[in-house]
Amino acid sequence: MEKVKVEICCGTACYLLGAANMMDIEDKLPAEWSGKVEIEAKPCLELCERENLGGAPYVRINDTEVMAQATPDKLLTRIGELLGGAA
Amino acid sequence: MADLTPNAQGSAADLFIEMEAAQFTKTGQGACGDDVRFLTVEKENRHLVALSDGLGSGVKANVLATMTTAMAIEFLKSNIPTLEAVEIIMDSLPICEVRKIGYATFSLFDFRLGGKARISEMGNPGYIHLRGVEEVPPLKDWQVVSEHWPDREVRECEVDFRAGDRIIMCSDGVTQSGLGVRKDMKFGWRRSGVLAFARERIEREPDISARDLSLAIARQALNITPGGCKDDISCAVVYLRHPRVMRVLTGPPYYKENDAEYARQALLGPDHIVACGGTTANILERELGVKVKVRLADMKTAGGLPPIGTMEGVGIATEGILTLGRVLSALEQMRPPEKEPTAARAILERMMRHDRIEFIIGTKVNESHQDPNIPQDLELRRSVVKRIAAALEKNYRKKVTLNYY
Ligand code: FES
Repeated sequence: MEKVKVEICCGTACYLLGAANMMDIEDKLPAEWSGKVEIEAKPCLELCERENLGGAPYVRINDTEVMAQATPDKLLTRIGELLGGAA
Repeated sequence: MADLTPNAQGSAADLFIEMEAAQFTKTGQGACGDDVRFLTVEKENRHLVALSDGLGSGVKANVLATMTTAMAIEFLKSNIPTLEAVEIIMDSLPICEVRKIGYATFSLFDFRLGGKARISEMGNPGYIHLRGVEEVPPLKDWQVVSEHWPDREVRECEVDFRAGDRIIMCSDGVTQSGLGVRKDMKFGWRRSGVLAFARERIEREPDISARDLSLAIARQALNITPGGCKDDISCAVVYLRHPRVMRVLTGPPYYKENDAEYARQALLGPDHIVACGGTTANILERELGVKVKVRLADMKTAGGLPPIGTMEGVGIATEGILTLGRVLSALEQMRPPEKEPTAARAILERMMRHDRIEFIIGTKVNESHQDPNIPQDLELRRSVVKRIAAALEKNYRKKVTLNYY
């Protein structure tokens, strides 16, 4: 994949349940990914009120994929997979 | 006069009086020897200011000054004639052992919306009345002298105080700054120096708030004197103008059908709008067709709260309840905004710049806040907003309205 878009939810529930630890995720990206990952913060992905999605914090990847209970490690691994194992 | 809130149609029709003061304490003293007090008598639409400079400096001067302002405000409020009030004040001030007198100067301002203002001064530098950059003389002024205290002349003035006008009152720590230390200012900065400075500031920034102008004057007085503050410095500014209205939208409306109308409340100009809460921002995105943009740098430096976003042409967006909670504690404890996390600071600074704060509150409860995994109790939006409103009114003399959706 050429480019990965990541939307981190910064709404209350996600922030309290772990999104706060992802605020500096940019600094953790390996140099070779530079230009290939686009990170955005979102007010509330409106996933927190839905049931059976796995729990906050949520991150949306490439507009369609939802990662529940996201952590910096999980997120970095998934980005790596999408970029074709570059990590 | 320029309408200061071009988009706040209708709601800006009435006038707002902004009363603020800035002070610096003489270097080395623990207490300021000047005191400034404000009082608004809502029922009478009446606004009072008392500024007093106690003899000497430090705690003793502070006691003299605070006693004077406390009594003066009460007497003004109760419509006791100036002469009588002055005599009671003078008779009750403690006598200084060294100087054998009890003494504190004062400047009093009394204004009823729609009427004339009355200013009484004793011993302080003469007030300055500006309409734009033009100085306005009093309609009339006269002296009153007490029989008990024949050497204490009180100057009384009747003043035509109109929308857009400002009154500046200060202690002699302002007008005498630089005295004896600056060769170019033999008699200090003087009233004429303060007047020229204020005019120049207003020329550059015609809408400058009372808060910023009083601070600019006090800072300048401080800067003129090299090596610390030689006397207590106090400057009070009263500014009569159309209110600057700000709106805080927070929480989704109870009925979804009301989203559109709710979102329309955000069309007041980007300097005047804060959306507090993720769902709120989403509603504005949908209804107004804007995007919330968060800069990555803001994510990193948010300082313990979720970052702040901007909605082009609409305003700023922050997280909801955590941010509001932080704003509340800062307002209740009167902490300066500068040290707060970015989002709370942005809201607080906006609140300070505005006179009237309108809360547009959606009352739908956010179910996700009940998630048992969340490590802290989240308060209800409505009760936090009510406490914010109370703190804004009590500690910052703001006008606040609450509208529920
Ligand atoms: S707070 Fe993250 S989805 Fe609502």
